Amino acid sequence: MSSSNLVPGKHVVATDFDGGEGILVDLNTKKYYQLNETAMVVWKGLENGKTVAEIVADITANYEVAPERAILSVQRIVDNFQTYKLVGAQ
Amino acid sequence: MLRDLKGWLPVDAVVVNGRPGLRWMDMAGINLAEPFFQQTVARAKAENNRGELFTEFDVLLQLERVLDSVTPRGFIFHSSRCGSTLLANACRAVSNSIVLSEAPAIDKLIARFITDAAEGGVKESLYSVFLRGVVHALGQRRNGNEEHLFIKFACCSFSQIERITRIWPDVPWLFLYRDPIETIVSNMTDVPPWLIDNDRRVLASITGVSSEAASVLSLEELCARTLGSLYSTAHRLATCNSMLLNYNQLSVPVIANVLSFFNVHPSTEEMDTIARGSGVYSKEVSGTHEFIADAEAKQKRASDLVREMAATWAIEPYRLLEQKRLQSNNLRAVSRS
Repeated sequence: MSSSNLVPGKHVVATDFDGGEGILVDLNTKKYYQLNETAMVVWKGLENGKTVAEIVADITANYEVAPERAILSVQRIVDNFQTYKLVGAQ
Repeated sequence: MLRDLKGWLPVDAVVVNGRPGLRWMDMAGINLAEPFFQQTVARAKAENNRGELFTEFDVLLQLERVLDSVTPRGFIFHSSRCGSTLLANACRAVSNSIVLSEAPAIDKLIARFITDAAEGGVKESLYSVFLRGVVHALGQRRNGNEEHLFIKFACCSFSQIERITRIWPDVPWLFLYRDPIETIVSNMTDVPPWLIDNDRRVLASITGVSSEAASVLSLEELCARTLGSLYSTAHRLATCNSMLLNYNQLSVPVIANVLSFFNVHPSTEEMDTIARGSGVYSKEVSGTHEFIADAEAKQKRASDLVREMAATWAIEPYRLLEQKRLQSNNLRAVSRS
């Protein structure tokens, strides 16, 4: 996992919605992104300065999911955040 | 930019150069004292040159993080021309209250659930977040001592009650309604903007017809169908977190009961103010025109078409709603005894 020092961009605002889901808005592009519950957990983890490995650990501790699957899922979400320039290196 | 918006309120949801967003106005020092939000905005505009600006909706998400705001305490929904303004005025009589009475930014965002957001789609979530943000911005503590926030919605917004209660599941809500013939007569005597809106999508959605079909219906039929739909929605969705109230029940003790349902307990002085307010015409800004009961007069004035449309579309849903209200009142009485 190479993206252990990522942090949310200052140009991105996140808000909770409907329990666990969330919305991100990129203030530079004015694009909105809807996050499912897992993606919101990842985003909040990054906001709290956690590494990807720590986020995976949180997820496996709180949800019934195999570690291998959690790693893949979290990495895919982080990759998407990077693709859309929603996160950056610390 | 965000700091500069403290004391500003989103007074309308608009589209500027193809960009949907909000029109804000500097409302510093302006209390929302009038029966309708727009009347307060008109007063603010008339008093002096108030600053105005346009922003896109994303500002709401940022403001939610920085503005100190009051959480909603009670929602007032209604079927039009049935005493909801009287109730809103009563809420306003309680010290440290903010009453948002048919604020356009709120009701226009709710309308977009119908016109621009498929069920379960991204836009539904987006508009939900924006709606929460607009209420947060409108409910900001501008004096510092505000404690209660009440929202009275436009009548058509009740059709989106399920989406609204998803955002605020714990806020108690009330649905106020009136005999359909009296309501239709009132709406035909003084036709409200919602009934003659050129964009028929909202009414089409409420009444279950196409926009094209809605545009050729008589106003009597459109009104009757809308009422029937709102009554049915209330009948279907009223729960223990909601209250059904008929116009013909309205009295000072019942208003006190509504406030108690919203977990607000007015002082004796505040109840005196409410009692005085119940004796005047509630929608008039000066509050000096005496209220005259007109149920009988409206029944007599109803045309054959009004009676026919009410009978076809609204009377049975009204009867069922009344039945539910009376049953729930009986249950409350039993649970108290």
